[in-house]
Amino acid sequence: MRKFFPVEELARDERFNKITMRDRMGDPRTALNVSNDAPAKRPTNLRLTPDRSDASDGARSLMHGIFVGEIQALEGAGRTCWDFETGTEAPFALKLDMARQCWDEARHVEISVKLSDWMGGEIGQYAENTVLFEAACSTDPVLRLAGVNRALEGLAIDVFTTMKEFGDLAGDPYLEFCEDWMLADEVTHVKMGSDWLRKITEHDPDRRKKALEFQSVVDKLFSYGGTRSESQESPIGLARRFRELAGFTDDEVDDIAQLSMQALNERKSAVAQARADQMRDAAAQFATSAAAE
Amino acid sequence: MADPYKPRAPFAPWDRRTLPGIFDVEESARRVGNYKWAEMKLFEALGGWVATVPELDVKMRLGTHCYKHAWHAELWHKRLPELREMNPERLTAPANDAMVRFVEAMTEPEAPEQTIEKLVGVYRVFIPRFIAAYTYHLNGTSEITDAPTVRSLKFILQDEFDDWRDGEMILQSLIETPEEASRAAAHMQQLEAIMIEAGGIAGVGTLGAS
Repeated sequence: MRKFFPVEELARDERFNKITMRDRMGDPRTALNVSNDAPAKRPTNLRLTPDRSDASDGARSLMHGIFVGEIQALEGAGRTCWDFETGTEAPFALKLDMARQCWDEARHVEISVKLSDWMGGEIGQYAENTVLFEAACSTDPVLRLAGVNRALEGLAIDVFTTMKEFGDLAGDPYLEFCEDWMLADEVTHVKMGSDWLRKITEHDPDRRKKALEFQSVVDKLFSYGGTRSESQESPIGLARRFRELAGFTDDEVDDIAQLSMQALNERKSAVAQARADQMRDAAAQFATSAAAE
Repeated sequence: MADPYKPRAPFAPWDRRTLPGIFDVEESARRVGNYKWAEMKLFEALGGWVATVPELDVKMRLGTHCYKHAWHAELWHKRLPELREMNPERLTAPANDAMVRFVEAMTEPEAPEQTIEKLVGVYRVFIPRFIAAYTYHLNGTSEITDAPTVRSLKFILQDEFDDWRDGEMILQSLIETPEEASRAAAHMQQLEAIMIEAGGIAGVGTLGAS
């Protein structure tokens, strides 16, 4: 078995459909679509709540996203156990933590499958974006921990908090109960990442800087063009309290909040530009047909 | 109530623990170092394989079992200094070169179509060898002088039996044709041949015979 497994070769059964980030953002079911049949004005509150007309489908879609995300988190933690030599490339205790994370993520996959079924979803109903595993492909274990444990698992804290609140508001104690258990594990995983990042880079400020920069890139990527931010325009909120429990400083949470808002604003600008382009093309087409007549 | 000042035997009639055991401190430490090395190699392989198997249930079981073997490695790591090995890395070693070759051969399958080979190596060859080595150690050591090792062995053996059962049942559900049965048997034979050369998890003498 090779060291460093390519994302394209992640093994899946025939129910799964892997797509890229570009494909995902082009999916008409995403919150930010620019298709002709999309409403012209973007709603000011997109937070996933039971009173949204598309709440059921939105919750199922998010749960499927959690499910495939957990699979990739499991795969990423497993690869960290395998890809690095104990002692020379990664400390023994770090690898033990990654093995522990494998077990936790395997349980999360089990929980997600059962929750999806409970919510009326099916495996493979939505496409799988493999960008999460890509963050786990770095050849430096510290960068992996920054990208996966601090950025990706940090996003998981936000997602599970949103889903837990959704379960509470929807009067679904089954969903709320399961999400709360997964949330406890994710706080542990983020704390693992924070602790190892500080420990390994204690005397290596350059490596720490590089790792934090990588985390920032991944954080922005995982903000999914504004899918996660403190704005009500984002379906997923930023769970400040749980992030603090997981070892993020106030400044770090502020940075992520700012980054997420930036991603949201960039996406809104892109949508506005796309709409303007569509209007311009339509006007040009109309002018051409009118001239021909 | 019985008179609390009446002398009682230090060992109750049902307490059959004896002295001495068959391992001295050095031999016990050497074996524990071999166990740790082998458990490490196993948890690393299980973790690495998760991304390579397409079967969802297998993926999840590998992730779960990965942690259990990491925990075993951790237990042995912590036991080594208690056996006078203050540098646990020194004794964290394969029993011999054949054991290294065994692990290389066991971890060689990577393709998504090779789930049977991956599981055969772990659940039909490696884990049965762990069960044998640990059972021999448990039966041979002194439950009095080596009680901490005995306690760990009992926890670990419970895991090994559970995981062996899990893996064997998954294999039985995956092997559906005579051709697949032949594939499994051929791979098992190849790995067993190397393991015989290695002599077991702790090398020649793992089960006492030299």
